[in-house]
Amino acid sequence: MDVAFIIEALVKIHIVLGFVLLGVPLIVWMERKVLGHMQDRIGPQRVGPFGLLQTIADGIKLFFKEDLVPAKADKVVFAIAPAISVVTALTAATVIPFGDMVHLFGRDIPLRIADVNIAILFLLGATSMGVYGVVLGGWASNSKYPLLGGLRASAQMISYELAMGVALVPVILMTGSLSLTQIGRAQEHMWFVVPQIVAFTIYVICAVAETNRAPFDLAEAETELVAGFHTEFSSMRFALYYLSEYANMMVVSAVAITCFLGAWYGPFLPGPVWFLIKLSLFLFFYVWLRATFPRLRYDQLMAFGWKVLLPVALLNLAVTAVVLVLKG
Amino acid sequence: MLEALLFAMLSGVAVGCALGVVFHRNPVHCALLLVGVLLSLSGIFIMLHAQFVAALQVIIYAGAIMVLFLFVVMLLNVKGETPLLTPGAAKGFGFFFALIIFVEILWTVLSPGGQEGAPSEAMPLPRDFGSPAALGRLLYTTWLYPFEITSILLLVAVVGAVVLAKRKFF
Repeated sequence: MDVAFIIEALVKIHIVLGFVLLGVPLIVWMERKVLGHMQDRIGPQRVGPFGLLQTIADGIKLFFKEDLVPAKADKVVFAIAPAISVVTALTAATVIPFGDMVHLFGRDIPLRIADVNIAILFLLGATSMGVYGVVLGGWASNSKYPLLGGLRASAQMISYELAMGVALVPVILMTGSLSLTQIGRAQEHMWFVVPQIVAFTIYVICAVAETNRAPFDLAEAETELVAGFHTEFSSMRFALYYLSEYANMMVVSAVAITCFLGAWYGPFLPGPVWFLIKLSLFLFFYVWLRATFPRLRYDQLMAFGWKVLLPVALLNLAVTAVVLVLKG
Repeated sequence: MLEALLFAMLSGVAVGCALGVVFHRNPVHCALLLVGVLLSLSGIFIMLHAQFVAALQVIIYAGAIMVLFLFVVMLLNVKGETPLLTPGAAKGFGFFFALIIFVEILWTVLSPGGQEGAPSEAMPLPRDFGSPAALGRLLYTTWLYPFEITSILLLVAVVGAVVLAKRKFF
């Protein structure tokens, strides 16, 4: 534990968290702009060039808004619920490798904050804790619509977490490691999306459901539940929920890239640049989904998760295991 | 030094949260405090070099089972407690069982067999201690029968739950 090690860790923490926190306004801007064009509008364009500063302006506005707490809300839980959402999202970001080693100042520096040897489990653990932010936010508001939103979220996230975990297991089997770095390195010659196209598809669907995004945004379905679990939240607490949603999107996209889309590998450009390119494309895909699909009905969502995704994921896992054993 | 400090923090939080679970009136707060207990226990598992168990603790207990608990509590919206026993009888029972468990733990810790299994400082851990591979190997060799029996028990529980829930159709 020398000084250089601590400095290195601190620098990496600042880079990754700074990237996530600054990336969120950019993604929000990208989403509004892309959605706008897909719906034959122009989207934000007044603040800054191409409306780039619109999200910053919105953020400042939220910061100065009055912080309202419903009279009958559970004050303590109401305060910690948005914090749980953000903390779990940022915690998950710490184990994601955005490149292999770099040689700087006479040291070999691995491009990730923490090289945990059970990184995938760490990630699943962190995302599974993220449910609490949504559920508790809905409950603590002590109001009908948020409670319904929270209930929906808890059932939905538990259901889709299962299929998501099972979809990641074939990748672990093929690599023989739970470390995201090892999984990334195993794809130097072939991306896992090629042999594991089924697992990839299931993972992407589950990832959209896990992050509560359209067409799986049942927890905040505005046509039925006003704004779902965050109806009663205003000011920065609302902003924290917003932040965590987009940070979670970045995390699950980064996991998809690391596990299926060849991690940081690509021709000509250095690793982190490729990682960034893939991440941007994946986030664009997220927005594209939102503009394309109508929201599912709640029973459809549950039936789809339990009767389609989970059995297919299990079958895929069994086939992968058998093939791996036969190949030796 | 650092280890002792971390252990004091984690175990302190665990005990504090556990007391909160018992004494708090609001069922949702109790459930949350229980999550706190589970998380600090997982921290203690990590200090014991059992990262895999720690991760499973968070994913399964804190992340899935407790969410289901919360789901049920929120769905039923339990307002006050509906006591099964009179407060006096409940306290008596609680004290009785707490005493039994305390004596059992004391027995285990103080008996020579209890200290035999504990690894001493000097004995280095095997390289893959606590890794998923090592744990899996143990489960499928030494502890195969308990493992299989537990799986069957869980299956029975699942089938039983479905039967009970669908009773009106039978």
